[in-house]
Amino acid sequence: MINDVWVAGGAMSPFNRRKDGSSFRDWARAVVKEALDDAGLEASDIDALIVASESDFFTLQLNPAALLADECGLTGVAAKRVEGGGASGHVAVQAGVAYIASGLARRVMVLGMEPSASHLAGVDVGALYALSFDAWTDGMTGVDSTSFYAMSALAYMARTGARHDDFARIAVRNRAHAQHNPTAHLPLDISLADVVSSPVVASPYHRLDCSPLSDGAAAVILAREADLPKLTRPRSRFRATAGATDTVRLGERADPGFFSGKHLCATRAYKMADVTPDQIDLAEVYDSYSGAQLQALEALILAPNVLHAERAGGFDADGALPVNLSGGLLGQGAPVGATGVAQILTAARQLEGRYVGKQPAHIPCLALVDTHGGIATLNCVSILEAS
Amino acid sequence: MKHQVNLDYTIAEGGLKPYFDALEKSDVLASKCLGCGRITFPARIICGACGSGDVDWTALTGVADVVHRTDGATRSFALMKFAGADTLTTVALLNPRSCATTGRLKRHVDGLPGLWVELDEITEGNDHV
Repeated sequence: MINDVWVAGGAMSPFNRRKDGSSFRDWARAVVKEALDDAGLEASDIDALIVASESDFFTLQLNPAALLADECGLTGVAAKRVEGGGASGHVAVQAGVAYIASGLARRVMVLGMEPSASHLAGVDVGALYALSFDAWTDGMTGVDSTSFYAMSALAYMARTGARHDDFARIAVRNRAHAQHNPTAHLPLDISLADVVSSPVVASPYHRLDCSPLSDGAAAVILAREADLPKLTRPRSRFRATAGATDTVRLGERADPGFFSGKHLCATRAYKMADVTPDQIDLAEVYDSYSGAQLQALEALILAPNVLHAERAGGFDADGALPVNLSGGLLGQGAPVGATGVAQILTAARQLEGRYVGKQPAHIPCLALVDTHGGIATLNCVSILEAS
Repeated sequence: MKHQVNLDYTIAEGGLKPYFDALEKSDVLASKCLGCGRITFPARIICGACGSGDVDWTALTGVADVVHRTDGATRSFALMKFAGADTLTTVALLNPRSCATTGRLKRHVDGLPGLWVELDEITEGNDHV
């Protein structure tokens, strides 16, 4: 079990499609400053910067860690950029945890950012995302993310009996949660009928089943307890952070509808944290598509029968396990490099009792954060604990 | 500011060159693991089931059945089971208006890369019904 890696502080920018002329450098600078203030630290206290950014094609900036160290007043720190597709932010947090746990650094700034929405046309972003799968086969065939997730969802539906209205309910609920989140991209008041009547992107998925392309940044600072200033507010710490992969090609999986890499990842995380799934009080899971939330919850073993629990309201804010109170990717948004960092920050603040947004019915002690790249191909699961 | 980058890649196929060369001719070359016998299409160099690097090539007919199919406004894709393969394959459909559940691998008329299937009712001994 990890026992002395703490979330010292953090910050996130609004996630949306920027129309104000600001750049990813501005968002990064702002969240780094706010994270330092939140932690009660100075820039000179940071000795390592880990930047999460999925693709240079989005930023048009190679070697972004060095640039952002410079831009954010952190010149002199050790810096690196990490990437893991949609999980890039969470992978960066894991790298930060490893830095602290190993003693390679005393205080690490993990900074995720991505201009996923405003730099390129949506069709170009889609073409780039297609390269997240096997670029030589699937990518060059031009299969887009939605179509891949759709085929996986169809396999899940065939096995479990899930229907599109089960997915649509999640699309509605996560957007409703996002209405309480001041940083959310899509705080929408929508109905099941709105989801069903939105244009079909790739059957069974309609437009409102899909998470948006977002711009934004998020930062968390990690450290050992002894290296942090005394604060009156509570802090949260990591009990586990695990990774696992699945085959890149969907067709090579025994069941294309089951996220077996995520299942393996979760199993490792529970073992590392020395907890069982029924001890988890709150979860932020990777809902890139509405149905993917159900597939994720199944793989994470967060209910004996996920579909039954979903239909019974078990994942509502007042249910047995509140899920994606931030709105998830569907509601909060998805600036790829920042996504996993923001998920970790959300869970930490819920545990610390200072989250601004939808609150669970009961104060959580353990929170699970789940992120993936590809179709649950590269998976990260962390379990955090209130101090 | 506006900035445009046009990139023209030349990518070596390495160990998968025979597979890509076959595709150029609309031939379907799968990999066959000599350890566990698994036949994989698209081909791969290391067996995804047992991890063996002892893998040979084997030709498939190119006939495939639709397992899952998704349709968008302009394009359709499917997970298909090629006859003789143990894995499923993601393909783009050349004639998405067809509701047929079988088809055959074909080159795109414009030579676009990737895996394309033309749907048609195909039965043994009578390829095109």
